[in-house]
Amino acid sequence: MHLFAQDLVNGILAGGILAVVALGFSLVWGIMNIINLAHGAFLMLGAYLTYQLFASFHVDPFLSLPISFVVLFALGYLIQTYLINWVARAPILTTFLLTFGLSLLMVNIALIVWTGDQRGVTTAYSGANFTIADVTVPWTKLFTLLAALAITGIMQLWLTRSKTGRAIRATSMDIGAAQLSGVRVAHIYAIVYGLGAGLAGVAGTLISLSYAVNPGMGDPFLIKAFVVCVLGGLGSVEGALIGGLVYGIVEAFATQLDFTIGTQHISGSGLQDAIALVVLLIVLIVRPTGIMGKATA
Amino acid sequence: MMTTAVLRRIGLGGITGSPIAIAVALALMVVLLAVPLGHNGYLEIVFRNILMYAAMAYGWNLIGGYTGYVSFGQVAFFGAGAYCSAVLSAHGIDNLFADVALACVVNALFAVVVGLPVLRLKGHYFAIATLGIGLALSDIVANLDALGASSGLAVHHVDEAHFYVYYYAMWLVALATILGTYFIARSKLGFAFVAIRENEEAAAVLGIDATRYKITAWAISAMMAGAAGAVFAPANGFLDPSIAFSIDSNVFPIVMAILGGVGTVAGPFIGALILAGANELLQRYFIKIHTLFFGAMIVIVVLILPRGLVWLFGLKGGARTWLKSLTAFKA
Repeated sequence: MHLFAQDLVNGILAGGILAVVALGFSLVWGIMNIINLAHGAFLMLGAYLTYQLFASFHVDPFLSLPISFVVLFALGYLIQTYLINWVARAPILTTFLLTFGLSLLMVNIALIVWTGDQRGVTTAYSGANFTIADVTVPWTKLFTLLAALAITGIMQLWLTRSKTGRAIRATSMDIGAAQLSGVRVAHIYAIVYGLGAGLAGVAGTLISLSYAVNPGMGDPFLIKAFVVCVLGGLGSVEGALIGGLVYGIVEAFATQLDFTIGTQHISGSGLQDAIALVVLLIVLIVRPTGIMGKATA
Repeated sequence: MMTTAVLRRIGLGGITGSPIAIAVALALMVVLLAVPLGHNGYLEIVFRNILMYAAMAYGWNLIGGYTGYVSFGQVAFFGAGAYCSAVLSAHGIDNLFADVALACVVNALFAVVVGLPVLRLKGHYFAIATLGIGLALSDIVANLDALGASSGLAVHHVDEAHFYVYYYAMWLVALATILGTYFIARSKLGFAFVAIRENEEAAAVLGIDATRYKITAWAISAMMAGAAGAVFAPANGFLDPSIAFSIDSNVFPIVMAILGGVGTVAGPFIGALILAGANELLQRYFIKIHTLFFGAMIVIVVLILPRGLVWLFGLKGGARTWLKSLTAFKA
């Protein structure tokens, strides 16, 4: 019973991070219909930025959250303006490959700058944790979850209340009508892609607190971001949050699977991608609009 | 759907691509027959890899280019084909024909079983589900003791003096995929594939059983990738999940097909020749940054040659049409 509670808590804590990872991915996909394969690379850059600030200037990782956001937002804005906007309305294959190429570029630049060594952001409070009813909770992961909730809340408010937020939502509903109302679509696209990159950077900062930092660290999060979006419902802020938490819990339990058939030993921890695929297919067949989703094209 | 109308308006369209390009591709294939005569083991491997990527690019071209279902999971079929050879070899059967035959049968069945749920998905959902299939299969094989788990299996057929056998086997596989694509594209089957790509609902109204044809395209493409994998495994001599399901084998063929020309007969081969050749040179002289170059190459190809080289052969209106095609999808 206490193992069950521990898995559940671990799942919720991991799910908070997944929600932030998926949030930016979901916005870019929902509003521009672009699957951003460079999302994992932005996340990795955010993590390295945090690492470098911490290692060189002793900046606390939580303080570098806004720095990650601003730097990655600027990078994303420039990439969308000068590269992706040229093919923004092309068939999916084009943007798929373009973002894949960008991802390769960024990962390999990181490999040259920081080499392939594993880096870690180890603060004074890194190992600290507390225990309630036999369930251990690390402080960093709890603060990460709280930060994730706060970021999701801020995004939701900004998208519904601000003028730019409304322009973004208008663009996703009807490009033609938005243009007629004076929305500059190319500019809005650049802002959305910047937001996606910025949120990935923030997620990278949060992830660097609990996971090792290396150039390939973004890849496992990419396919999970996709599954979380499908699970929660595409393009909605609360969908990413719910999807992230649900997927975090499912994964926490699935990776605990451990049994033997004949001489073949099967352990869930080695099958993370297979688990993601199974969840994805089940959701797509049973509830294609996601948990929070309305019917979309 | 609408995209093809846009492209046709600016002078791009057709079912096999330029006949001149096909003639060039076949002539180059004949030239490639001479490679093992030079007795240069290194060059033989380089060109065998080019032929292997070409066969995989044709496999992708059939489902992604002709049928319009952008698959990111062809590496699953390549790996499955490779493991067919490994399993036969482990049971003492060392015969390339048996390897390729088994790989084709296994992959056709695998494609039908996986295709039934996955081919119901469209666009991004299909792309990511297929990406997941490759990753999941790699995970599963890495956990199966019978297939050597993550430490891999040795696959051995002939001694080094007879390595040219693998080269010619791969050449035959590549030729079969080129000719197969040509005849399929010009047959009723090919027209059904293209009809599904252009507008699946309209195709269904015309009496095309979309599900059946999609699964057919998917199964043939799986056999093409699987045959390449079946020859690759013994030629490589060793197989583990990271080799059989590598990201290179997944993405190279797609980029090759696009560089050459999606939905054309000559495109994938021309793309494979150029990209695999360039990659080999970069790897040889700039080992540290060759993946960086590759990423940059993808970005440039997508932006300046979105329809591939083969379409430049048949372009009406020259440079002006080409410039127009660059901004056709601007935001």
